[in-house]
Amino acid sequence: MAVRTQDPSGERVPVEHRFLGLDRRTFGVGFLVLGIALVLIYGLPALNAAIPWHNEIRAGDVLDLGDGATAVPPVGWQLEDGTLTTGAGTTPSTVHVELASGGAKVELRGTSYQGSAGGFLDQVGRSEGDDVPAVTGPRDTVTTAAGLVGVVESSTGPGGDGLDVAFKMATGPAEAVDAAPALLVRVRTAPGRFEDFRDEVAALLRSITPGDRR
Amino acid sequence: MTDATSSVNVAAPPAGTRAAQLAAIEQSGWGLRFRFPQPHNLAFWVYVIGVGGGALSMFRYFGQGAGFYTPALTGGALLFGLYLVPWLLLLRHHNRYTAQPAGLLAAGFLWGGVAATFWIALPANGALLEIWAKLGGTSFAADWAAGLTAPINEEWGKALGLVLLIGLAPRLVRSAYDGFIIGAFIGLGFEVFEDVLYVYNGAAQLYGVDQFGTSLQMFVIRGASGIVSHALFSAIFCAGLMWVLGRTPGERDVVRGVLAMLAAMVFHFAWDDMGGLGGGGLWAAVLPFLIAAVELVALFHVLRLAARQERVWMRDLLAPEIGTGAVDPPLLDAVSGLRKERKAYRKHLRSRRGARHLVEGAGDLAHEIARAGGADSPGVVHARNELLRLRATP
Repeated sequence: MAVRTQDPSGERVPVEHRFLGLDRRTFGVGFLVLGIALVLIYGLPALNAAIPWHNEIRAGDVLDLGDGATAVPPVGWQLEDGTLTTGAGTTPSTVHVELASGGAKVELRGTSYQGSAGGFLDQVGRSEGDDVPAVTGPRDTVTTAAGLVGVVESSTGPGGDGLDVAFKMATGPAEAVDAAPALLVRVRTAPGRFEDFRDEVAALLRSITPGDRR
Repeated sequence: MTDATSSVNVAAPPAGTRAAQLAAIEQSGWGLRFRFPQPHNLAFWVYVIGVGGGALSMFRYFGQGAGFYTPALTGGALLFGLYLVPWLLLLRHHNRYTAQPAGLLAAGFLWGGVAATFWIALPANGALLEIWAKLGGTSFAADWAAGLTAPINEEWGKALGLVLLIGLAPRLVRSAYDGFIIGAFIGLGFEVFEDVLYVYNGAAQLYGVDQFGTSLQMFVIRGASGIVSHALFSAIFCAGLMWVLGRTPGERDVVRGVLAMLAAMVFHFAWDDMGGLGGGGLWAAVLPFLIAAVELVALFHVLRLAARQERVWMRDLLAPEIGTGAVDPPLLDAVSGLRKERKAYRKHLRSRRGARHLVEGAGDLAHEIARAGGADSPGVVHARNELLRLRATP
């Protein structure tokens, strides 16, 4: 009669259950968890990569920048994040819009910042460090059709061309401008491709309005 | 003075109660130790890969701006570290039946905080959020994507930790109540680590202006909402998973289990898509409180159902002690009962303090009996004598 004995340490796996030093009886749980985790970690991003964007900007679409502030995006670009004025609505301090076209990406990010547009752009630079290899151009002023005054800074580097524009979303007295929410418009293109998108980016910047409520 | 190590005269318990006691010890796994390093167990290596991958992802995520955002990260870690204290005290109180070993609960906490958050949820959420935006448009995504993403990725990501712990401690993780307690610890780990992530993101959203103020603000918002958040979702979800798996004889209930898991996912959906559900106005202001109330009612209902098996085990473990005089029927009812039975016992003794001590002492005796495998170990004798001493004290 076969007598089954128990290993007092509990560490020795019975020979009939061993595989490469592992206990085969634990494979069910291990592979099940690993399989589900891998589907979530790699399967979903793979599925995402396989699905194309279908959120093309059509003529007449207007971006919602919160509390009545708007911008007019270039027709034909893909809206990858953010909402149109016909959508769910957003708040100026958390607005996040991403627009993409072949070789270019535009991001509009709202936040609260007490101070001028120039001070805001300095703070953005401080938060990101100065170790990104790029040649940065001198600062300039950009004025939108609605009278918003922004500070613009361009850069060129091996990773591509870029343009950062900082706005305070109000016009009028300096105190009102300082207290208003800030908007950072960030344009990134492939190296040497900025010129191809210059007109569309300029039109987008000119179209930014603080809305009636400011 | 009673000698703590001396034995009392123990009349042999009836055969039926003794058999039930031994069956309860075998089924419950009470008193067993948890050994974490198990190199022969694949579940151990998957756990190590998950937590290791999560830690790597976490350092990569925070490493980008760790220098500049140090005040926010320090503030977040400090505040949410303190936030843990009342939670741990509350969960320790609810761990009184099953008394899961600290190592097992710590392993659950770490899985929730590091693996489920950074290894699974971070990449999976990013992808699924974008999928919803692609399929339904950005307006649809703004309203509903968060609620359609987190309950899938996060609840399953956290529950995978429970499944691994079953693989690591199959005799310790048996009942729905075990799932409830371990799930709460996994959810708490997820919640605290996610909150620190939110503090970092909040500081980055403001480009580093007033970082400590931002972390304080985030602490107040997330801390308040955290009462009815991940710990609650996971406790319900994991109790449900244990009902589906049915690891204790007679406890399997697939319908109840699936309903509990769905309830946790629906609560998570409602919490994440409050904006879409509320639609603004007065309703939006009332909705968080309404959802929180429903969640808490569901939580206590699940807790009560899940504790049923543990209460049976407690009763079976202590029933033979009636013969020793350490436990009498009213005390047995109180220690294995609900609030109603404990209240009745307080009335019976006419002493709140005395009743509390006796109930705790009886719980200690049950755990010593389980630890000794039903034998009269010095620990059992001590716990029994303590009960006798308490009972003799007017």
